[in-house]
Amino acid sequence: MVNPLYIFILALGAGFLLTLFDKAGRKVSLIIFYAVLAAMVAISAQWLVALIGGSETAMIYTAGFKPPFSINLQMGLEEAIFTLAVNVLGLLSGLYLIKKFSAIKVNAMVLFLMMIMGINGLIMTRDMFNLFVFMEITSIATFAMIGIERDVKTLSAGFKYMIAGGIASVLFLIGTIYLYCFSGMLHIDSMAMAIDTASSQATLLAVFILLMAIVIELKPFPANGWALDVYEAADPGVVAVIAAGSSAGMLFALYKITPLLNETLLLTLAAIGVTTFLASNLMGLMQKNAKRLLGYSSIGQIGLVMGVFAMLVYLGYPINGKMVMLIAGGLFITHFAAKAGLFWLAGILNKEEIEDWGALRKKPIFLFAFGAFILALVGLPPFPSFFAKWQMVMVLAKEGQFIFIAAVLLGTLLEAVYLFRWLGKVLQAEVKEKLKISFAQGLPILVAVFTALGLGAYTATVVPGGESLNIFYLPLLLVVAMFVLDFLPAWVKNTIVIAAMGLFTWKLLPNLESYRFMFGIIFMVGGIILLIPGYAYKGKRVGFYPFAVMMYTGLAGLLMAENTLQLFTAWELMTIGSYFLIIRGKKAKPHALSYLLFSLGGAYVMLSGLGLFFAENGGNLDIALLSTITQSSSIIYILLVVGFLTKLASMGLHIWLPGAHAEAEADVSPMVSAILLKAGMFGLIVVMSAIQNPMIGKVDINYILSWVGAITVFLGNLAAIYQEDAKRLLAYSSVGNLGYVLFGLSLMTHLGWLTSITYALNHFLFKALLFLAIGGVVWRVKTKNMYEMGGLIKRMPISFISVLIGIITLAGVPPLSGYAGKWLTYNILLEKGWYFQGIVIIIGGLIAFLYCFRLIYAVFLGQLKDEHRNVKEAPLPFLIPQVILMIAIMFFSAYPGMILSHVGDFLTKIFPAGGIDWQGGVAMTQFGHWDGFTILMLTGGIFVAVLAWLMINNRKTQKVKQFNIVYAAERPSRPELTHVGYNFFAHYNKALGVLSTPLAVKFWNGIADGFHATGDFFRKIYTGNGQTYLVHIILFVVVVYAFVIGE
Amino acid sequence: MEFQWIKIPYALLSIFIIFNIGMLINGVVRKIGARVGGRYGIRVYQPYIDLIKNYALRSNVSHGIMFYLGPVFRLTGGVGVYLLVPAIYGSVMFSNFSFAGDMIVALYFIFFGTLGMALGAGEGGHPYSALGIGRGLAQVTAAEIPMVMAFLGVAVQYQSLNITTIVAAQQGGIMNWTMMTNPLITILGLIAFLGTMMRSPFDIVLAPQEIPIGPPTEFHSTFLGVLQTNRAIFPMAKTVLFMNLFFGGATNWWILILKVFLIYMVSVIVGVVFPRFRADHSIRWFYKYALPLGILALIVTSIIF
Repeated sequence: MVNPLYIFILALGAGFLLTLFDKAGRKVSLIIFYAVLAAMVAISAQWLVALIGGSETAMIYTAGFKPPFSINLQMGLEEAIFTLAVNVLGLLSGLYLIKKFSAIKVNAMVLFLMMIMGINGLIMTRDMFNLFVFMEITSIATFAMIGIERDVKTLSAGFKYMIAGGIASVLFLIGTIYLYCFSGMLHIDSMAMAIDTASSQATLLAVFILLMAIVIELKPFPANGWALDVYEAADPGVVAVIAAGSSAGMLFALYKITPLLNETLLLTLAAIGVTTFLASNLMGLMQKNAKRLLGYSSIGQIGLVMGVFAMLVYLGYPINGKMVMLIAGGLFITHFAAKAGLFWLAGILNKEEIEDWGALRKKPIFLFAFGAFILALVGLPPFPSFFAKWQMVMVLAKEGQFIFIAAVLLGTLLEAVYLFRWLGKVLQAEVKEKLKISFAQGLPILVAVFTALGLGAYTATVVPGGESLNIFYLPLLLVVAMFVLDFLPAWVKNTIVIAAMGLFTWKLLPNLESYRFMFGIIFMVGGIILLIPGYAYKGKRVGFYPFAVMMYTGLAGLLMAENTLQLFTAWELMTIGSYFLIIRGKKAKPHALSYLLFSLGGAYVMLSGLGLFFAENGGNLDIALLSTITQSSSIIYILLVVGFLTKLASMGLHIWLPGAHAEAEADVSPMVSAILLKAGMFGLIVVMSAIQNPMIGKVDINYILSWVGAITVFLGNLAAIYQEDAKRLLAYSSVGNLGYVLFGLSLMTHLGWLTSITYALNHFLFKALLFLAIGGVVWRVKTKNMYEMGGLIKRMPISFISVLIGIITLAGVPPLSGYAGKWLTYNILLEKGWYFQGIVIIIGGLIAFLYCFRLIYAVFLGQLKDEHRNVKEAPLPFLIPQVILMIAIMFFSAYPGMILSHVGDFLTKIFPAGGIDWQGGVAMTQFGHWDGFTILMLTGGIFVAVLAWLMINNRKTQKVKQFNIVYAAERPSRPELTHVGYNFFAHYNKALGVLSTPLAVKFWNGIADGFHATGDFFRKIYTGNGQTYLVHIILFVVVVYAFVIGE
Repeated sequence: MEFQWIKIPYALLSIFIIFNIGMLINGVVRKIGARVGGRYGIRVYQPYIDLIKNYALRSNVSHGIMFYLGPVFRLTGGVGVYLLVPAIYGSVMFSNFSFAGDMIVALYFIFFGTLGMALGAGEGGHPYSALGIGRGLAQVTAAEIPMVMAFLGVAVQYQSLNITTIVAAQQGGIMNWTMMTNPLITILGLIAFLGTMMRSPFDIVLAPQEIPIGPPTEFHSTFLGVLQTNRAIFPMAKTVLFMNLFFGGATNWWILILKVFLIYMVSVIVGVVFPRFRADHSIRWFYKYALPLGILALIVTSIIF
């Protein structure tokens, strides 16, 4: 085992001698430089392996004496991990900077080595004054590295860094002096035992000052303006080390002095941390400069780690215990890898504005890395931050710290806003220039991303409940495979995915019971059917299949979920996958962002609810226990339901849907509209079957939900009739249809749930059919506006039939299966007696006729436009699923009992009374009866008979040309003159205009604007003037002290 | 339940009877209208002559497959609605196919015909047809509001959706009719009836004096013949439905003829007196007056029954 002192010896030695070796040529110095860095890595790695294997923590004594008479270093497990991380960072950053190091003076390498060595010292030392020394070494080296460019921005940034560093050093020294005075030692562990902050005001003050010194180095809000200027100005390779490495060192220093702190100080620290997190992310919202944006994110993340760590210690969790390591460590290591990677990318792209990062699209693997880093920072699976955040919420909920949870989740959401906005810009950018990435620059980034992924997998195994995550192994393996195989042509990948999904479904479905089986059919079998149109795409379709499989992984995970961790992981996987699918649409960028933010917001509300559930049932993750909760069940209910309602797009939470579904690609729209929305319904069923009487005071929450459902039906359908874009019309129609689902569920009766499920099944069938048909049409005519189409029945007859069947089912006209839902609606209204919601719903259903007709008329009937005279029918891969779905609708219409009686059977377990009595194929309730088969036969019979009558009586029919119509002495010459397509329902708008004011859109836009404006306002404190920053720091210390004293 | 094949000839007989009733009532109403207007009027059997003339025309013109199918859908809708409603209470022969569905299926089947007609007219390629359909659908959906509320109110009153049950409950004298036991709902139903009959003030759809083009002009010969056949059956079907729900049903054909004629005359009388609403007028009218009345009627019904 190599003595850790060699880290310092090698670094110092090389530092001194490099100038000498440089005389022999730059190559020689570079070799030595990297050799030393590699050696430092090797030493830390060796210790880590040994310590994991069970070795004792090593104490390295110097000068022959034991502490407290001499300085000692410690190499324990935490030190090994941190030094390894820092040293690897140093090696990779050094490699990254190879071009610069080759060109400028050799002093740069010396300073770099000093910087890394200094951080190692910060981590390993156990002496307070020694800590100060290493702090100074790191500071000076960093300052020099910042200023190495020698331009105005870097020099001024470096100078501000020194000002702040200087204050921190002063405070540190004062604190140390007094603590030495009070305790008589400088050895940290002994000092901790000797100091009691409660003993006197002065002791408290001393500890406080010491704490503040370290905190200032960790860039708290608002005393962090200097840091932002540094992040913005300095060379990205250096900034990577500062953002990741220096923070690692300072955080470890904080970790070391934590035993000195009392409860008040810990709580203050927690408050500072979370405030910094919130404020930084708020201010980052308006930022357009890439590096400054990353600076805000960095500061925020460090604040988060600091705050979470302090809160956990305050709550009594052992400082080096598993929980602290998992949560704070998980968050930190994700930040470490992701920030370093992002700054490295910034250096490669060398563009100031976030708008200009589009060149990343030229290098897929680095685009992948970029996306991965963004996901990691927000805290999405499979990264360690996801599991860390999960565990944090669970632990803090158990301790009752809900304000803290809310603040963290809000901050995360804000961070997601600007990070995903950036990601969207990159994914959709128009790229003209090439991007050159050298090996030296590329390798560190790849190491960072794969380390993050690997650590994520590891964290998944250690988080409580993590063993259950093995349900995701096989599907995620397929995701990885699809990433690797992304170079293959699209049809090959499509076949692989369909085969794999088919096999998985074959194995999975028989093991699912009751409603999970039914949703399994919709999610998995439906998913396979909807993958068939993928064969119509030529080329490789890079980036589609991994995320499509990820989305289906999430859906499958939902089906298999037995505990809340599985549920939440599946939920987030589904969200990520669908986001990347939606953003593929040409104009989808803002809508995909909106979709993601609503999804994340809903997910975080859900997470809070799951945390509360965890707390209430004594720390158990099992979903089945949801029905045993007695206290706070209503609050849990509301939180979970709101989370699921965002996915279900209920009124008020629906504004993301029209854009996202309309602008998505032709085969993505059916997937997200017909299948994904049902995930929200699935969640609602899980919650509502467990908690059956949620009340707030005397108010039944389900009554409120029934009104939400009713209004959603009405307003969703009303909005649909005014749309000019065919896919937007269908999207609003989805909003309306899912209102029925919510209404039915909220009734909490057997028939009510049966109605919901019927609507859901029908919606899946007809919405997939309609989106596929319209998708095929749009594929050929290249426009989505209905007024630009017309007369397409002549060219695309199969699509016409699909749409015809689709709208008959949507409208609920017998004999097709949509009627089942309508008939059941009347039954449940009579049964429950909620007539007013019923009226709203029925009116909404009537309004649906309007857009049904408009869709089919404007697209297929009327006169064919000149440019469409030669369009072909939709591609065959689009037609095959349409035929399958039409057959399914016919089957469901003729034999509804075969499916619904099974649904009734499992509903009887939840609601024993009041189901449908199926006699043969006839449905009987206490109010009425319905025989689907007979009605279908009757309609068919009459139709055939009338058609025969017409044909018998017909003479030779003469087909006339298009413009052969009587037109009151005018002669129409162009099809545009005869196509009534635009503003078709103007009179309806005139009559009911007031009901169409976009209140929800205005509301959410108002909130978004409010946040942005606040962020923009607070940004102004960062004036760029170093003296101002000085004042900030001093004021910060004073104000915090006032709070501490006040406690 | 085994399907009884004897039902089919009974259904055909029933259709034949109601067809003739419809034709004759059409003729009589036009005669009355003429006499009221000081003219002599047509022969009462004129509709028959018109129909035979249309079927006998030697040539006809089509604009496409959906144009061809439009009248077929329409007549299917009309005949279908009629067959789903029991015509004569207590008669096995003339209860049609009402065992297959209750009042809701009749309510929604009405849209089958409307949809088909809309598709057919749209295929004609004529912009005025499309305008008419746009107005017509908008108005229909507004006019359906009192209709569904009235039907729902009746269902609440009798706690059943089954038409035969509702008619049975109204037997035993005029005081048992829904008209007497629940006048508010009946008024609502009559308003709905006016809306669905598409006479003034709700005849903006065809607006005979204003738009002499569109479906009546584009459809001719056998197509128009099929539509005229429907014009005889469909209004009768709807009137029979209303008769069953609000006016006690009929136990034999003579009572049926009498009641259908009288109910139909209500819409005729209103039609000759009132001018026409514009499309947005009529939509607003239904939302502003019919909807609150409907809510009131439902509240009263749910309290009393």
